[in-house]
Parts: sequence; structure tokens; C-alpha cells
Amino acid sequence: MVDRMATPASSVLECRSLGFSYDGAAGTADVLRGVDLVLVPGERVAIVGESGSGKSTLLHLAAGLETPSAGQVRLKGVDLGTLSEGERTRLRRNQIGIVFQAFHLVPTLTALENVALPLDLMGRERGRALQSRARAALAEVGLTDKADRYPEQLSGGEQQRVAIARALVHRPALILADEPTGNLDSVTGESVFRLLLEQVEATGSALLMVTHSDALAARLDRTARMVDGRLLKADVPAAADPA
Amino acid sequence: MILLLKAWLRDWLRHPLQRLLTILGVVIAIAVVLAVDLANQSAQRAFDRSMLEVAGAATHQILGPAEGFDERHYRDLRWAGWRDLAPIVEGPLRLETGDSVYLLGVDPLAEAPFREAAAGFGEIPVQRLLTEPGTVLVPPAWLEARNRTGEVEVTVRGVSGIYTVSAIPAPAGAAQGQIWVADIATAQELLGRLGRLDRIDARLQRPGADAELQAALPPGLELVPVGARDAAARELAQAFRINLTAMSLLALLIAVFLIYNTQTFSVLRRQQVLGSLHLLGVGRNPVLAVVLLEALLVGLIGTGFGILLGIGLAQGLVGQVARTVSDHFFVVTVTAVEPRPLALAAVFALGLGLSVLAALAPAFEASGQRSIAASGRAALERRSHRLTGHLFLIGLLMLALGMAVAGLGWGDLIGGFVALFLLITGFLLLLPRFLASGLKWVAGPVADRLDSALTRLAGRSLERSLSRSGPAVVALTLALAAAIGVSVLVGSFRVSVTEWLGVTLTSDLYLVPAESASGRGGARLPGEWVSLLSDWPEVASVSTGTTQDVVSGRGLIRLFLLEPHADWLEHLPLVAGSDPDLDQRLQDTDAVLITEGFAAHQGLTLNDRIDITVPAGSRSFAIAGIYRDYSHPGGTVLMRSDRYHGGAAPGFHSMGLRVGAETAVEALESRLADWLRDRDAAALITRPETIQRESLEIFDRTFAITHLLRVITLGVAFVAILSALVALQMERSREYAILRSTGLLPGGVSRLVFLQAGLLGLFAAVAAIPLGLGMGWILIEVINREAFGWRMDVLLPGWPLAENLLLGIGAALLASVYPAWRLARMPVVPALRVES
Repeated sequence: MVDRMATPASSVLECRSLGFSYDGAAGTADVLRGVDLVLVPGERVAIVGESGSGKSTLLHLAAGLETPSAGQVRLKGVDLGTLSEGERTRLRRNQIGIVFQAFHLVPTLTALENVALPLDLMGRERGRALQSRARAALAEVGLTDKADRYPEQLSGGEQQRVAIARALVHRPALILADEPTGNLDSVTGESVFRLLLEQVEATGSALLMVTHSDALAARLDRTARMVDGRLLKADVPAAADPA
Repeated sequence: MILLLKAWLRDWLRHPLQRLLTILGVVIAIAVVLAVDLANQSAQRAFDRSMLEVAGAATHQILGPAEGFDERHYRDLRWAGWRDLAPIVEGPLRLETGDSVYLLGVDPLAEAPFREAAAGFGEIPVQRLLTEPGTVLVPPAWLEARNRTGEVEVTVRGVSGIYTVSAIPAPAGAAQGQIWVADIATAQELLGRLGRLDRIDARLQRPGADAELQAALPPGLELVPVGARDAAARELAQAFRINLTAMSLLALLIAVFLIYNTQTFSVLRRQQVLGSLHLLGVGRNPVLAVVLLEALLVGLIGTGFGILLGIGLAQGLVGQVARTVSDHFFVVTVTAVEPRPLALAAVFALGLGLSVLAALAPAFEASGQRSIAASGRAALERRSHRLTGHLFLIGLLMLALGMAVAGLGWGDLIGGFVALFLLITGFLLLLPRFLASGLKWVAGPVADRLDSALTRLAGRSLERSLSRSGPAVVALTLALAAAIGVSVLVGSFRVSVTEWLGVTLTSDLYLVPAESASGRGGARLPGEWVSLLSDWPEVASVSTGTTQDVVSGRGLIRLFLLEPHADWLEHLPLVAGSDPDLDQRLQDTDAVLITEGFAAHQGLTLNDRIDITVPAGSRSFAIAGIYRDYSHPGGTVLMRSDRYHGGAAPGFHSMGLRVGAETAVEALESRLADWLRDRDAAALITRPETIQRESLEIFDRTFAITHLLRVITLGVAFVAILSALVALQMERSREYAILRSTGLLPGGVSRLVFLQAGLLGLFAAVAAIPLGLGMGWILIEVINREAFGWRMDVLLPGWPLAENLLLGIGAALLASVYPAWRLARMPVVPALRVES
């Protein structure tokens, strides 16, 4: 069903009739079916659902990491399906920041270098300017004193903070967060989640977050539920008819 | 256990490239080792058979002057009651096709106790030797190789002209190897030695008989034990073979690194399987057994294919080895590689043994209580880093020991190889530590200066994968260093030989006999030509030279008889004994010069004395000087021709002519050609540049095989780098996926892989320079000197160094093409899901 609350003209992310399937041993498996979703700038949307319902796949399609089997993904009006792999990558690194459940920091780079990586890849800034911007982002998440530590020398919470700083350092239009607190204990998870919201607010980015937690989802602007590859209307119980 | 094996080995189906690379490394290494061994052994057996057929069952040989001695001496000795004697005329015989064979002229009636060459006198072919002049027994294999059966007519170039001989297959037991056998009268005619013998073989079994026979010999004849004759050639040919074997073992060493690397990786990658097995209660020993069984399987398949490839490769190599042995030592013909079951079994055991040995460490790692699954990759890398410190210390120790062995000259040739091994291994053990520091430097200051995240990532990633990058770099360094070492040796040697030829070839034109077809003496030009040509106005000066094997107090030695140009000593590269009166001393007294090689082999030095048999009998000669010479690996004694002959020489092997100041070389050449048409003795006019070119062709042929081995070694190293990069690619796929999700373009991933490969290649290439130069120095100053006694200036090969630098980086970059291509196309999401 179409998310009627957003207007496509001003959207950051727009998914239309999105489908994703793959050929497995038991035949074709449909992971996503006819998903429609629109996010406007600054909007914070949670996707909740059971494991295997297709939440993460939606995020991967939104990031251009996977190609949809059906439908369209538009990022700031640009249809990702019309782009080459390289163009999709460029759009991703300029417009999107991703926070993973498993942090996914580059283990051979320090905390500061991890944060600086998107800026370096964008190539807009070099040398001291790049360093100071990365340091500032790291300071925002309270890890100035851990700048030279490698990921393995940081706690889980600290690693996720670095990941948040990395996702936001280049002020992207859209933040995609896949279970950002899933690997953390409740206290640390709460503090990281709060930090994520603060940072998103500070940068004005839109946030699309996948979570198991209804409590966390409730603190965002909208919640949509994913059931068997279909996206239900926000705040509608899972048992409800998607139509 | 079957299920356990299944769980473990199904990985082969999932990652066939990894397995293929491991097996390929074993295949190439085993093939090289076997091919070199087979080629060596086949040439060695041909050499041994030739020596056996020539020497037969004789215990002693009676030798005379190089030009032979009167056959009546044989008759006299028989009449004096010495029955166990057999007369011999021998020498290389040129066929019309240009091939050379070794002809042994025997007396079939006296032969039976001595050798199989003319055994079976009752056989009709052997009887025909006596009854039909111009008949020779040829090895049946020679005929078979030419698709001929039965008797054939063969045209040969004898000393006095072209002959057609009847070649009949030798009966069983006779002439089965390399040698052609003829009746002595036929051989005397073909070799131009009518009425003369080259030697008389003797079987002396009674104690004291040798002294009695020596006493019965006329002046000019010497009794020498068999073995003294071919000992030097055997020793030298062996030295050449040891050099080849050492090269093949290098390939094997590189393969061990390769197997170790891939086995470690294959264990590491199956953490999940290992973890599950541990959870299910599978004990230490079953895991150990499974990993070692896998290594055994790799060894089995690799060695099997390696043996097949090695036999094929040996067919190509054997001709080259035989050619080199023929060029320098003795004419041998090898028609086929003969793999001996024992050699094959040894190589098989070697392949299996090394495969298992290289897998021991990862197998213990997998089966240990703190398994990889439990301790993780990071722990392995931490251990690797710690290990580099220990290896560094062991390396330093081995280097010091190697230098001591090389510097103090312990243990001759074998000592040289021991020193080489210690220095190579010691140096290689230092590399992981240096590599770690180098990569830190690249990821730190260099990346900062370049302001390049890719450089930082490349350096860090490699440094964090030292267990992977270390062995690969070591393998490539070793291959490149071997290439540099050989380049230094061959380059220095070639320059030395070229300079030496330039210095010693001081005539404008040379005359040599048209046919070089005789035994110890060789074909000669008439002695009166010297005075005839000296009178020509176009000729400023004439020199003559004759090389022949003569009897001495130190066995049979090569003697160079020289009638030189007046200024000859100015051109002779003397290394000891330079004295203004040297020429006078050589003319007036019993004094000789010896080559460096001869001095080294015989342990002689300036002013020592050596007994040499000249036509007038044995005399003691003082060593008045030592000079540099590369003409014969065993070394040479140089004597003034008139001292040897006691006057003018009756003939000589070559003549050097210098033209007068007013004459063009072409004019003299033209007149000489006209003049030679009217002579009975056929001679060729040769220019010094032709001699130089032909000498260098032989030189290049000798070392062609080392270049081939160098390429093969580099091939193994290439596989090692490719294997390491593929391993890194698989291990770090998640890291690459993170980078891709953060915005690194596919091209950026490729660049990163190329950068890593380039860094590994650059490091290996730079590290190979000191190691290669050190290897070259040991090859020249220790091994070559011990093997051949040759000294030469060690030259720094500029271009080969640059070439190897490019080769190292090029090989690494080439090896990275496929991993870079795969990584750039890697689906990001599945890679992100890989467990860290």
C-alpha cells in the first residue's frame, strides 16, 4: 500500500511497487512484494517486523546495495535503476549514511580514520580540513579520546558510536540504520539510540531505521510494519490486513 | 571419520580455485625437481656408460705422448710376457650429418677380458670387424633412433677424407651404449693414426705388477691407474649438476611456502566447520588427521601430475644437459629420459612429505585446544606478529653462521652450498619483521604524506594479514633473488670470458685443421707451415698452439703448447708470477704456467713443481706463473712448444697470424685461401671474432638451462602471490564490502587490490636485491671457485636488477588481476553478512 503521508515531489527516498526475489534451491523466493514507501527530509521512520520479513532487504535496496526485481527506488528523485554500479555507489556515498547492527567498521583503520573514510572517498576535502571535520564528528559522539583506537580496541557501544559518526560526517540526506542497537545491551543501546536521534536532528537527515523493538520504533515519527515482504501502514498491528 | 572427511573436503567443491592453486604449486615444484634429476641422471648414466665402455675392465692404462705412440711397443710387451693387455685407438669421429660419435678401435682378439665392447667373438658381427675393413659396430639404439634396422652405410669425415663405413648393429652385450667400435686398423685409418696407438689397457691383479710393468715400459710411456683419466671430468660434470640441482631445490622451497600458505588459509577459512566439530565433541586427533589427510591428498594429486609433467620436461632438458656435458667434458648422446623407479619413488615421497610437513603447523593449530575457531583470526595474526620476532633472531643467527661458513671456506663445494642455504634461509626469516615495519611505514607516514586513504588501507590490511602476506613475499623474494644471483653469476662470467677472449685472441687470423677428428692428440697442421708463412711479407708474426692431454705426476693433464708472438705475455692475464724474465725463463728452463683452475684443482701454487711426460721422458717443471683462463673447466698447463718437443713442433692445432702494418687482413685472408687450396692438409681460416662468437655461443648454451629454471621458479612464486591474494580476497571480503557500502567504487576496490599486490611485489623486489647479490657473490666467490677454480670480478648487473624489480612488481600485479576483477564484482550484501 502507498504511504499517503508523503509527497513525492519533496521526497528523499521513494520506493514504488518494490519487489525483490531470488532463486533458491526450492524455487523463487519473494522477499519483498509491492512495497511503497516515501520519506521526506528530516523525517524519521521505523520499520519493524519479524526476522526474515524483508526489513533489511528493503534497507539494502534503498541503499542501492541490491537491485530490485520489480518497482523503483528513487533517491532525491533519481531512479537508482537507471544508474550504473559506479553511479549508484557515488550517489550512496554522497547522499546516504549507513549504520549496521554489526557496526561494520573497517578493522584496519582507527576510529578517526573510519570516520574520515567517507569524506576521503568523496574527495572534496583533504589533509587538515578532512581531519578536523572527522575529529569534530567523533567529538559529537563523545569519542575524542578514542580517536586512535582500532575497532577491536573499542567496546560495542563505542564502535556503534563511531559508525554513527561515520554515517553522518558527510551530512547525508538519508540515514539508513539496520538494528543499530541490536548488538548492544539495553543501557548502551539506549544511549546509542539517543545519540543517533540527536545527530540526525542536528544534521537534518531523514532516517529509515529497521528494528525489532516496538519501543524504539514508537519514538520515531512513523512506524511501518513489515510482514512477509509486505509493508503495512504505520502503527497498524501485524495481524491487520495489508490492504 | 567418513562424515568428518566429507565435512572437511566438501570445501574443495566450494573453493576449487584455492585447491587448484595449491595443487599447481606442488605440480610445478615437483616437475622441476624431477625433470632436473632425470635429466642429470640420464646424462650421468650416459657419461658413466661411455667411461665404462672406454675403460672396460682395465685396472691401468699405458699412455704416451698425445700424438700417440708406435704400435710396436704393444707387440714388444706381449712378447715380454704381459698377456693381459689390449691396444686402443680412440677419438671423436665426425659423421657427415655433423654429429660426433666416439670411436673405439680395439683388437677383438685381445678384448674379451676387458670390456663388452667387442665381446662375443663368436658372433658374426664381431668377426666381421676383423675380416672386413671399414666395418663398425654401432649401438642398436643409434640405428633405432634413425628408423634403421640391420646394416647401413654411414658416411664419416675421417682425418684424411670422407669414408663410407658399414655400420652393423652390435650384438647383445657389445656396444650397447654410446660408443662405436671398430677393429684397430679401421680406427687407425679413420682417425689418421696409422701405425700408432693412443693407449694400451692393462689388467694388473698381482700385487707389485704395476711397478714391474712400469719398469718394462720404454721412455715416453707411463702406466696410470684407470680412473685418474676421467676423475677430473667426472668431478666437473658433477659440479655442473649440483648447480642445477640447487636451482631445482629452490623451486621446491618456494613451493613449501605456497603449500604452507594455502593450508593455513584453508584451515582458517573453515572456522565454522571446526567450531561445529569442537562443539560436537570431535577430539584433537581426528581433526589433526583430517587436516593432514587433506594435505596428503593435495600432495598425492600434485605429485602425481608433477611426475607426469616432470618426465615431459626432462625430455626437453636432457638434450641441453647432455650438450653441456659434451661441450665441456666428454661426448655423450642421450636419446631418451630413463625414469628409474627409485628416483620416482624418492620424488613421490618428497612431494607427499613436504605437503604434509607444510600442513603440520596449521593442522596443530586446527586441532589445538585454543582452536582457530575459538581464538579467531586476530589472535592468529597476533601470534604471527610475535613469531616474526623469534624468526628475526633465528634469521640473524643463521646469517652469521652462513657468513662464517662462506668466509672461512669450510667444506669446499658442499660447504659453499651449506653457506648459501644458511644465508638464504637466514635472510628470508628476517623478512616478515621488515615487512611488518615497512607496511606500517606505508600505512603511516607515506599514506599521510600522500593523503591517501587507499594507501593507508592497503598497508594496514597487509600488515594485519602478515600470516598471509609474509609467506607470499618470502616466496617471491626467493624467486627474484635466485634470478638476480644467477644474473650476477652469468653476467660477471660472461663479461670475464668476453674480456679474456678479447685479450688472448691477439692474432688477426687463425688457421685450424678442417677436421678435428682424433683422440688425445687432435688433428694437426704441418709443422713446416710456420716457416713457410713467416716468410710472407704480409705476415708480421706467427704463433702456434696445441692442446693435448699428457701424462703427469698428477694424472692425465691438459697441456697447452704455445709458440707465441713476441709480446704474448703482455696479453696474458697473469694473476701470479709476473716477472720481466718470465718469457726467458719459460724458454730456457723447465718452467710452465698454469691456469687458476688448474692451480685450484691440483692445489698448486707459484714455484711448486709438477712432473710432466714429454716425448723425451718425464721431467719436473717449475710453476713460474698462474694466469686466468676459461678455456677448460679442469684447467690447463701452458708450456713453450720447443721445451716440450726439444725443438720445432712436428705439427700443431692452430696457428695465429698477425698482418704487417701495411697489409689489410682481407688481403692476407685471400692469399691464404689461395695458398691452402694447394696444400694436402685441409685447414680453415678463422677470424678472432668468429672464435669469440662461437665461444660465447657455447657459454650461452651452458647457462641456458639456468634461465629456464629461473622462469619456472618465478612461475611458482607467481602462483604463491596469486594464492595469497585470493586468500586475502576471501578473508577480507567483508572489509571490502564495508568499503563498498561506504562508497568505494568497484574501480577503487580494484585499485586497492593492485596497490596491495604492488606493495608486496615492490617489497619482494627490493628485498631480493641484497639477497640476490649475496647469492651471486657466493656462487662466484665460493661455489664456482670450489667447483671450477675460476675467479672473476663480481659485476653489479644494472639492467638485470632493474629487470627483476619490474619482474617482481609485474608478477605481483599480474597475479592480482583476477582477485581484483572478482572483488570489484563481488555482491556487497552477502559479503557484509560474513562472520567477522
